[in-house]
Amino acid sequence: MGDEQAAREKPPDPMEAFRDLRDTYLDAWAKTMVETVNTDAYARTTGTVLDTYLSASSPFREAVEKSMLRVLEQLSMPSRADFISLADRVTNIEMRLDDMDAKLDRIVNVLTKPATTGRRRNPGSALPKRQSKRKSKGAK
Amino acid sequence: MADAAVVSDPFTDLVGKLSAFNKALTTRTAIAQTPKELVWALNKAKLYRYIPVVPKEQRHPVPLLLVFALMNRPHILDLRPGHSFVEFMVNSGYDLYLLDWGAPGPEDKNLKFDDYTLEYMPRAVRKLKAISGVEEFSMLGWCIGAILTTIYAALRPGDGLRNLILLTAPLDFSNKEAITFARWTDERYFDVDKVLGAFGNMPGEMIDYGARALKPVENYVVNYLKLWDNIENPHVIEAWQAMNTWVTDNIPLAGGVFRQLIVDLYRNDRLMRGEMMIRGERVDLSCVRANLLTVIAEGDHITPPCQSKAILSKVSSKDKELYSVPGGHIGIMAGSGANKRTWPKIDDWLGRRSG
Repeated sequence: MGDEQAAREKPPDPMEAFRDLRDTYLDAWAKTMVETVNTDAYARTTGTVLDTYLSASSPFREAVEKSMLRVLEQLSMPSRADFISLADRVTNIEMRLDDMDAKLDRIVNVLTKPATTGRRRNPGSALPKRQSKRKSKGAK
Repeated sequence: MADAAVVSDPFTDLVGKLSAFNKALTTRTAIAQTPKELVWALNKAKLYRYIPVVPKEQRHPVPLLLVFALMNRPHILDLRPGHSFVEFMVNSGYDLYLLDWGAPGPEDKNLKFDDYTLEYMPRAVRKLKAISGVEEFSMLGWCIGAILTTIYAALRPGDGLRNLILLTAPLDFSNKEAITFARWTDERYFDVDKVLGAFGNMPGEMIDYGARALKPVENYVVNYLKLWDNIENPHVIEAWQAMNTWVTDNIPLAGGVFRQLIVDLYRNDRLMRGEMMIRGERVDLSCVRANLLTVIAEGDHITPPCQSKAILSKVSSKDKELYSVPGGHIGIMAGSGANKRTWPKIDDWLGRRSG
């Protein structure tokens, strides 16, 4: 039995006309909304709403942060800043290990492939240029 | 006893459809199923190598590194078995790697393009070369991943990058009228420092809202109506659930990168004007010499096509091509037509340059 025959035998859907009407309306609505959001008025409105939210919530956020810090101190527990500092140090250690891994790879390369010097990687190009000091606090 | 006729009333039908609808909305399906192994990690970033299924002698010798955007999971590249770009490329004989940036925490709020392109990417590339045993490689960057790969290609042209594929790359910010994000983040309306001062990183939910609000009716209404209309079609439900699982898995964007994205790119178009500085080095796009394929989505509201075209006139690559595909920002790689248009094109272009 072909698809055509199956389609012929399919009972009529009373909602089909409604769905067509709905889709036509949604298409028009979608186009209007895309145009609406790409206007300066929309950008200004959302910007103002966000700005107001940030201003209004700022005192509460700061109060919660301060009180949480005090509670953690009272309980002799590390704060978020302590964890951030620790994470920064761990990442630095990871980078040192990665540097060592790169050096080991190069040594193994030299020891195992002495005849293929033409293919050997330029030692300087394999490693990222290290900064003598992190550019900014907390940056990885 | 004769079989009783199955009688259904409208309320029973409605309850059945509503139950299926609820289940589809709330079920998270398994995505990113293609087998892979972790080969390198640094902070939240991880480099995966997909397990090859093609014998080594039949594989393309030049490996391919996938670099996805920073503010979404890369699972969209490997959505579900049978409909996965990763699976397609592995089956096509590529030695495939994925750089998964992970989700930045509060400790990563100062991460910038500088860190991603000159600290993380060169290390991941070094590991890729060490594992694959070759000096040359290809990179595919999608969305913000395309910004990262372009900066890397310009700053490190001698690192062995042979082929560069950019998907829906937001590189040119000169046409502000056509870029809705540029309008929203204009300095008259959007205080980037105030937002980052409050949150540290840009929250994933805000980024998600921004992306959805570009086409509010499609994303907030039509998307769910389509699911309702096809609630009895298991294939549609499976595809919808996989996409919904990915879309709703939002991750934040590191504050430093977000500030650069808004100030340096959306507001001042510094990359295309040759004024972008990364750790003191000017990003000169004419230093890009790798073979270049730029894929644009004709119906892209997030990265309008005008943002991805100008790169071709800026780079020094002798072999460069623009490929235009009907579809949206995500649809060209994960939509139902992706395996007929975009994927074969990438395979064909890359395969001829990966020997």
